[in-house]
Amino acid sequence: MDTAFIIETLVKIVVVLLVFSALAGFGTYFERKVLAFMQRRLGPMHVGPYGLLQIAADGIKLFTKEDIVPAGVVGPIFKIAPVITAATAFMAAAAIPFLPEFTIFGYTVHPIIADVNIGILYILGVMAIGLYGPLLGGMASNNKWSLISAARGAAIFISYEVVTGLSLLVPLMIVGSLSLLDFNEYQAANGWMAFAHPMGFVSFILFWIAAFAETGRTPFHLVANDHEIIDGFGTEYSGMRWGLFFIGEYANMFFISFVMAIIFLGGYGDGTVMGALGLLLKVAFFFFFFLWTRAAWPDVRPDQLMWLCWKVLMPLAVVNVVITGIVMMF
Amino acid sequence: MSLEQFTDRNVGQQHYFKVEIDDYPQTGWEKFKQVTRRALSGELFVGLWVVMREMIKFDIHTVQYPKEKLPIGPRYRAVHEMQRLFESGTERCIGCGLCEKICISDCIRMDTRIDENSRKEVTEYTINLGRCIFCGYCAEVCPELAIVHGPRYENTSEQREHFILFEDMLTPIDMAIKGEQKEYPGFGAVTPHEDARVKKTPLAY
Amino acid sequence: MSKVNITIDGRSVECEEGEFILNAARANGIFIPAICYLTRCSPTLACRICLVEADGKQVYACNAKAKEGMNISTTTDNIETERRSIMEVYDVNHPLQCGVCDQSGECELQNYTLEMGVDSQHYTIADVERPIKDWGHLHYDPGLCIVCERCVTVCKDMIGDNSLKTVPRGGGPIDAEFKESMPKDAYAMWNKLNKSVIGLTSGEEMLDCTSCGECAAVCPVGALVDTDFVYTTNAWEQQKIPATCSHCSAGCQLNYEVKHTSVESNDEKIYRTSNEWNYVSLCGAGRYGYDFENRDVQKDEAAFTAALEAFEKADTIRFTSTISNEEALILQKLKEKSGYRLINEEARTFKAFLDDYAKVSGQQLYGGDLKGAHDANFVVSVGTALKSDNPNARYAFNNAIKMNKGAGLYFHPLKDPVIEGIGKGVFPAYHKPLREEVVLYLMLDLFGDKEKLPSEITEYLASFHSLKTVTVEETIKEKVVEKVMVKKVNEETGEEEEVEEEKTKMVPKKVSKEVEVDENRLLELLDIDADKWTAFMDKNLKKKDSFALIAGPDLYTHPNSKNLARLLALVEKYTAFELTMIPPLTNTLGVALICDLDSEAGSYSIGYNTKGDFTLSALGDGDLDMPAMNQQEGTLTSIEKRVNPTNAALAYGGYVLNDIANALGLSARYTIDYTEQLPTGAGFHAEAFDNLPNRFENDGTEVRGYALENLAVAAGDEAVEKIDESLALEGDHIIYAANPVRQFTAFTMKPHQLTEPAGIYLSPAQLEAMELAAGDEVRVKSATGEQSLHVVEDNKIDGSVMCVTTFDPNIKTEELFEAYRFTTASMHKEG
Repeated sequence: MDTAFIIETLVKIVVVLLVFSALAGFGTYFERKVLAFMQRRLGPMHVGPYGLLQIAADGIKLFTKEDIVPAGVVGPIFKIAPVITAATAFMAAAAIPFLPEFTIFGYTVHPIIADVNIGILYILGVMAIGLYGPLLGGMASNNKWSLISAARGAAIFISYEVVTGLSLLVPLMIVGSLSLLDFNEYQAANGWMAFAHPMGFVSFILFWIAAFAETGRTPFHLVANDHEIIDGFGTEYSGMRWGLFFIGEYANMFFISFVMAIIFLGGYGDGTVMGALGLLLKVAFFFFFFLWTRAAWPDVRPDQLMWLCWKVLMPLAVVNVVITGIVMMF
Repeated sequence: MSLEQFTDRNVGQQHYFKVEIDDYPQTGWEKFKQVTRRALSGELFVGLWVVMREMIKFDIHTVQYPKEKLPIGPRYRAVHEMQRLFESGTERCIGCGLCEKICISDCIRMDTRIDENSRKEVTEYTINLGRCIFCGYCAEVCPELAIVHGPRYENTSEQREHFILFEDMLTPIDMAIKGEQKEYPGFGAVTPHEDARVKKTPLAY
Repeated sequence: MSKVNITIDGRSVECEEGEFILNAARANGIFIPAICYLTRCSPTLACRICLVEADGKQVYACNAKAKEGMNISTTTDNIETERRSIMEVYDVNHPLQCGVCDQSGECELQNYTLEMGVDSQHYTIADVERPIKDWGHLHYDPGLCIVCERCVTVCKDMIGDNSLKTVPRGGGPIDAEFKESMPKDAYAMWNKLNKSVIGLTSGEEMLDCTSCGECAAVCPVGALVDTDFVYTTNAWEQQKIPATCSHCSAGCQLNYEVKHTSVESNDEKIYRTSNEWNYVSLCGAGRYGYDFENRDVQKDEAAFTAALEAFEKADTIRFTSTISNEEALILQKLKEKSGYRLINEEARTFKAFLDDYAKVSGQQLYGGDLKGAHDANFVVSVGTALKSDNPNARYAFNNAIKMNKGAGLYFHPLKDPVIEGIGKGVFPAYHKPLREEVVLYLMLDLFGDKEKLPSEITEYLASFHSLKTVTVEETIKEKVVEKVMVKKVNEETGEEEEVEEEKTKMVPKKVSKEVEVDENRLLELLDIDADKWTAFMDKNLKKKDSFALIAGPDLYTHPNSKNLARLLALVEKYTAFELTMIPPLTNTLGVALICDLDSEAGSYSIGYNTKGDFTLSALGDGDLDMPAMNQQEGTLTSIEKRVNPTNAALAYGGYVLNDIANALGLSARYTIDYTEQLPTGAGFHAEAFDNLPNRFENDGTEVRGYALENLAVAAGDEAVEKIDESLALEGDHIIYAANPVRQFTAFTMKPHQLTEPAGIYLSPAQLEAMELAAGDEVRVKSATGEQSLHVVEDNKIDGSVMCVTTFDPNIKTEELFEAYRFTTASMHKEG
């Protein structure tokens, strides 16, 4: 490995970390604004013009707040849990091509940290590890609500992860590769996965639904459902530790939006500036949709989510895979 | 204004709407049908449409409180005020102590004495706003329309016991002389058509 | 008096014959509105609102007497109309600013206006200017006055000062048309009301009376108010603490009215006292002397430890009688436990006097009480400066003479214009000091049952009598026939001519007559003018059937007190007189009954409210603070032989006597735990404090505490000593240990409204005779000591006897006197 590659990778890692950490902050601002507008409110208005500096205020608050480790918790695990959430979210980003490759000062930049040939498998795996954050945090917190939240997290995890996997099988079968770059190239040539094949559309919808469960957003905001179990696994956390959970959740939302855009909606297409902008627009749409649903839809119960995953989505996904197989066979 | 809508206390069912609620599905088949119907009829999208519509309309109802304030109803019962007489500008309060007596949270207290002109003088008058429940009885009982409720509802304090003194409540004298003092229309005020209800007394001289 | 049955509104009611209908109705809980009537005073007939219909005739319930079978209805249509009109008249020109009025909330005008439903006014008259008057301790607002004359009535019939009267108002006449349109009684009442307001009898601008404030108490509206109370608080804000006045032995029922001090201070403060003025009248000390509490006392542990050490050391406890029965019992128990000597000279003397009295009378206590004196129609007072020793006894004396068409004899060396002011019904006999025995012999002579009296006494009394022939000048009217020439017109001739006519005329003519009269040398011994005496007795002894004798503290300290006590017992036994003795101080009677008092003090003494080597004091000047009587619960034994409960009106934060007693080995959680233990052998009941009521019934029955049992004791012989005629104090400079009217003890010095100075009180005449002026300092020297005293002019006494105050403990005036309250002294001006 040459030094340039190492430097380039390190720079990319730092850029991704900084950009998405900041985006997590802006994400909260946008979420609050969008929700407010949809509910005829103004949202944050007082810190800075139109409340723009609210993020800075929140950041200062989170960073300077006392880090409370309650008595009776399992210390090391309690402390490490938020790190797991944030770390796995960012680790998953390693295999995501955020932009088409471009040349700057004569140096060709691949905006992907590690173009591994099992990219999608890696992303799924690492994101799945992210479950340990809420699970361990919840179990270590010595708090009933946290424990319930952890149990819910585990139960839901198995449910939606099956759907995620099965729904991804269809594009995998069609593309025949696990690298996200290959997905992009395939779609650039054959049209968007979601619309080129009916089975692709079905698996796109299934994956999208599963993505809500994966990121724990309304209507599947079950692990930290405020009106039932306070803040779930986050109940006992304060300050920046709680902030890490938060950053993890928002980073996840962005990354899963990228994954969906790349796998199903053609990614950056032909790699032109327009394609790059298109990818960002698609990501923005997915992110906005997360906020939109939160304003519009109610939460479901854990049993309803599992019912949905196991009895509706999984059979659909299996049928979809079988049909895909049959179609591909002929 | 007609008072019919207030005086008619015949609360019947004439204006009631019944919400139609279907029976809960009993069998698995019925449940399936319900799920399918709901999934296909796009109920979820109605919700999405509604919030999107509101966002586009951008009809914001937020009142940015410390900067903007909603107008207070004239009968609102906030922090007390002491009125002055219109012509002379002297205090209306005669120190009769009825407010002190009627106060159900026992937060009014006053000291009185006889002054140089042989009149009753209020030397100290306090209301403990920490205790006051703003029921308006003091304003209602006041025979001189002296103590009334003003519009000042912001009374945060660093401690629970928060006293307000006579001088703080009293309308400033220059305001009273200019006639800027507003008559309170709330509890205990003179109602319209009061004249018709008062019995006349002969005044022969 | 016999009982009769009358019917009021269909209810059968039993009452005394001749009782006023109003009183009968009140006693039976039947409401008849009345404003101007006071239960123990004469009907004023000012308000006319107590109209009732008796046997079909309209009468005033306050002065119509009940007769057998009377049928009374309290309302008829006509009476309703009258009453409403009367209330409308009262509301004419009455200010409507009830808010600022001190009476608001307990105002009878407010109450009756509401009761009669006055909501409109049909009468008018131009008002006249009626400026507010400041009469010293009273504040009079004629604008509020409804001229019910209750103040005038109570001052005359109850108090006896006659300080108030009605004076012309000076307004215009009532519009003539009202005479036609108004109900009769309402018009008559208005006519009278419109002509008068209240003024001072003296015609001066300042009130000069014995300052009892009863007029302000009875005022139904806010016209008469105590100056100190004006506009300070409202009636409804004060909590009424039922208590017993602790200033003198009368033990009047009163309420301390307490409220927080001010906006800043939550501490309770007494704003005034109130009383049930229909049944009890307060004196100035009771009414205005309420703030004698021991203020701002905390538990001072160092002082408490010092007190316990002092009790270890001490062999004597000195105390005064301004303590409760319970405290007296604690002291007695301490004596029994640790052998302290209890020193209380004034109670010991009284106790000795009672013992001497009991040896003849066969009962431990005197038989009468002041209530009896109120109801008597012949009252005699001996050995007491009535108005200052026990104002309530004075009220009884006055009330009996005024109300029962009674008469009274007042035997005392000190000339008293207040007693003389009662009127013709009283005969003041100013005898020489030390001649009190003569008075009692005179009583025996006049009223004693000669049949039953021991023969030696009858004979001894007879020895004073002698027949004497005197020449009396009488005026007789004689018939004289005169011949007069009268000019007449001759009817026939029409000319005028002189005709002689006879006319009879009555002409007064003086005739000298020789009459044999009985001369009584006892009268001479008492310096009584025999003629005046005879005239008075002839006139006033008729139709008298109930007799009361009030004996006072002069007798207890008299050198021959033993003989006086025995004579008193004889008077009570062989005459119709009910005897009442005035205990010298608040609870002297209780202390005398409870404590076993010693005469010889030991070497180291604890003083309680008096100076000792270690002093416990409720006055705030001792080594350890004690609660004053308005800060503690307890019972007081009054002149009425009644054990009255009193309550704590004000908070007290320090140690009490019970704490010391507990530390010394007695055990009781509260002082009042001793109430049950008061000696039944002395007539007390084993009744718990909390069971003692303190109120009056509607018919005036005193439901307060309980009455002492007057236990029988073994009686001995009835021998009494003869009068030592040489025994008499003569001289120009006789001083008398007596306080001004509103002062009794050091506790009456503290209240801010009782401002009488300590010193020597001289009548204006004596002041002139001695060429002194008020404010001078004089050096008074008697056989036993000398003292520098402040000269005070007092127009409530007369003659040459001078009063030396005893209430101020800082001036040792007791050193001037041996034991007897009178002594001769020499005086010279200082400086």
